[in-house]
Amino acid sequence: MKLLRFMAVALSGWFLAGAAQAADPVNVYSIWPENYARPMFQEFEKATGIKVNFIRFSSGEALARVIAEKNNPRIDVLFGGPVETFAAGIKEGIFQPYKSPSFAKLPARFKQADGQWTAIADDPLVFMTNAAFLKGKNLKAPASWDDLLDPAYKNQLQMADARTSGTAVTRIFSVLEVNKRDEEKAFAYLKKLRQSVQLYTKSGGGGTLPVGLGQAGGGIFFIVDALETKAKGYDVVISFPKEGIGTSAEAIALIKGAKNPEGGKKLIDFATSAAMQSKLSEHKVNFVPANPDVKTDPALAEVLKGANIFPIDDEYAGANRKRIVDRWVKEVLGPQ
Amino acid sequence: MAARGLAAETRRMLRDPALLGAVVVLWLLLGLFVLYPLAELLVRAFSDEGRFTLEPLLGSLADSHHRAAFVNSLILGGTVGVLGTVLGFLFAMTATRAGLGRHWLTLLDAAALLPLVSPPFTTSIAIVFSFGPKGFISHDLLGLDNVSAYGFWSTALAETLTYFPIAYLTLRPIIAAIDPNLEEMAFSLGGSRWRIFRTVTLPLAVPGFANAFLLLFAASLADFATPLILAGNNFPVLPTQAYLQITGMFDFKGGAVLSLMLLVPAAAVYLLQRYWVGRRVYVTVTGKVGQRSRSRAIAPWAAVLLVVATVLVAVAILYFYALLLYASLVVAFGANNSFTWQHYHVIFTEGLPAIRDTLIIALIGMPLGGFYGVLVGYLIARRRFPGRQAMEIVSMINYALPGTIVGIAYLIAFNDPPLALTGGALIIVACYIFRYSPTGIRATVALLQQIDRSLEEASASLGAGSGQTFRRVTLPLIAPAFFAGLGVVFIRSMTAISATIFLVSLSWTLITVRILENMTELALGPAAAFSVFVIVVVFVVVSGLSALLMRLRTPMAGAAARSLLGG
Repeated sequence: MKLLRFMAVALSGWFLAGAAQAADPVNVYSIWPENYARPMFQEFEKATGIKVNFIRFSSGEALARVIAEKNNPRIDVLFGGPVETFAAGIKEGIFQPYKSPSFAKLPARFKQADGQWTAIADDPLVFMTNAAFLKGKNLKAPASWDDLLDPAYKNQLQMADARTSGTAVTRIFSVLEVNKRDEEKAFAYLKKLRQSVQLYTKSGGGGTLPVGLGQAGGGIFFIVDALETKAKGYDVVISFPKEGIGTSAEAIALIKGAKNPEGGKKLIDFATSAAMQSKLSEHKVNFVPANPDVKTDPALAEVLKGANIFPIDDEYAGANRKRIVDRWVKEVLGPQ
Repeated sequence: MAARGLAAETRRMLRDPALLGAVVVLWLLLGLFVLYPLAELLVRAFSDEGRFTLEPLLGSLADSHHRAAFVNSLILGGTVGVLGTVLGFLFAMTATRAGLGRHWLTLLDAAALLPLVSPPFTTSIAIVFSFGPKGFISHDLLGLDNVSAYGFWSTALAETLTYFPIAYLTLRPIIAAIDPNLEEMAFSLGGSRWRIFRTVTLPLAVPGFANAFLLLFAASLADFATPLILAGNNFPVLPTQAYLQITGMFDFKGGAVLSLMLLVPAAAVYLLQRYWVGRRVYVTVTGKVGQRSRSRAIAPWAAVLLVVATVLVAVAILYFYALLLYASLVVAFGANNSFTWQHYHVIFTEGLPAIRDTLIIALIGMPLGGFYGVLVGYLIARRRFPGRQAMEIVSMINYALPGTIVGIAYLIAFNDPPLALTGGALIIVACYIFRYSPTGIRATVALLQQIDRSLEEASASLGAGSGQTFRRVTLPLIAPAFFAGLGVVFIRSMTAISATIFLVSLSWTLITVRILENMTELALGPAAAFSVFVIVVVFVVVSGLSALLMRLRTPMAGAAARSLLGG
């Protein structure tokens, strides 16, 4: 009997899911983790009365799905995620250019010239180390890229795999910039760094929990994930290399062929404006706002104070990404 | 000769409407949910702007990294197949021959089934916590520093512990069905225990071994979650590489090609099993079940040894899961170990849609998958019709393919009208049925190999049609396989992730996807709470099934129910 009722519910569910939804809710794939995205969508619903249906995927998965669904898009907006994911999407022709009211006032690196994507936040990389690990090895928090080559770090670091993670790509381009784009020097460093790496993880934040728990000594992560680890109560130390480290913009884009483009545009207007980005600090989501009208949260600003952070050059990264990642896979990743 | 045989088979099928109907419907379903998506995927992999090209395949073969991954996958699959079969046999022998009491058996079953009923990466996480650089066992207990939990052995260990229950489930009914009177007879004829074990018990268990090894090898070949967490960077395997190729490099072609390389070993093992097992006869049930005399075929010291070994493994498994339970009940595992119910509160509020969707999907897929498995298994093992072998092979494809590929293939094939199924629940249910019913198919085939054909022939000669014979004679005999198949589909619907991670949608999401999400969000607590919930639900359902099976009147079903589902 119960089974029958379940089946009835499920069958009606199929029909509902199959039929086109009424215009109202906006359908979204979020690359931001749910705990960052959910409060933002709740704020949007509060402000506009429009509900957001969303599901979270890592950047590669989200992009693969949007490409697979190209002929019959299931969503209206791709939300969050590093711009290099969006750059790959442009090549596949999956976005509908749209310029929100905030578009004009954003600096050039926070938008695609045609409006294919717009940045909603900025996310610098940091070094994050386990405090107990530092104490046990009698080390100071790493303050230079070369510090990570110290034998004390051998087999101790976890960081992301460049095949899946935008975090890793930003990290590799940081090393290139620090080495004045001299690829030979940069790869010589990356190969040496390999000796310190215990594991390359699938997702950018994959190593944060192991570092928090002391399974790993440290790693290189986006600041939003590092501060979240700290907020959870794990005793970790955040530091920056004196040579500088890269930052990556987080973007939003309208999907070509979206079933609810008007709702999608409203969400983009909201996400790129001060209305949403001023709520980031309130919800303890430690992205740096992209909109110049929004002040960075004081606590976050304190962490960033004095740090040498540079943006990754979009054009250079876009033109060389595939080649550099391929080279990294071939020369650095494999069995050593 | 062959042509005449085929013609005769075709004629017979056309005269038998039940058989004809079943074959046609099955082929339609297999065509739609196995062949069509695969074809769509192949078109993607081997065409470039409308032209046929082998470039991606050749490129992959030339890459030494990919070749290493191929070899590693074989080594891992073989190791897990052997270790898991041995472990499964150990448990099955202990359960059926060591003379343990009911309560001990229940406990043993519980430990053995835990890994099977939990999301695949829970074992991996527990292993990292136990054997990692700061692991409870490696560091706190043994004082080792700087060990690595990543690589071949930890992956093999995790997969063996995760998948050996498949071998146990496959072997236990078969060993239980070996009439102890046979061993008894050999014993009274003066055979030594070792000789009886070698010449009576083991040969009768051979189809079970072959099936268990095949299933484990295929499971390991297709598993991507465990290597993703444990293999590390020095031991790449194909499913993980294929997954990364697609999700990371946005390279459908390369990923499809890599996964197609997996089909070759899967097919090879399958053929080996077919011709090795096919030549022997294993009839021990001849219509009248012998009185279950208590087995004397095992020496008391051997029984003790079996029990000790089994208990050690069981304790190790229980320890892993105690860790999981603990993580679900503390504020932040490893940082703040004070007690809280908070994580359970979260999964029953924010996580409720995922729980509801998962249960609905699992409950729909369960009976359909069980019936499909028995039907295909029966047709393959007992009926002659054109294309029988092809059906057997096609029905195994989705099981042998890595889930990532099945998921991507479904996503490509079912996104556009007229077959726009993505976004609904049907596509997830179909994915589970065609991916996880092969366990039921194999169980049916193995069981039927032990049941004498003369029973059905008697029914046929008394004038019953094939449908009636199936319903009245065969079905009761293979009820254990039906419930095994149904149970596996339910369990997998609750725990699998690799294929369906591509099929979840805004309207239908799954617990396992939420668990993976939670892990990437650092929310280990809710992830552990979800896992505990899944394990509890599956245990309740499996116990219910077991009770149901006990009430079936056939003596065979009752006996096998006890052996199959425990307690």
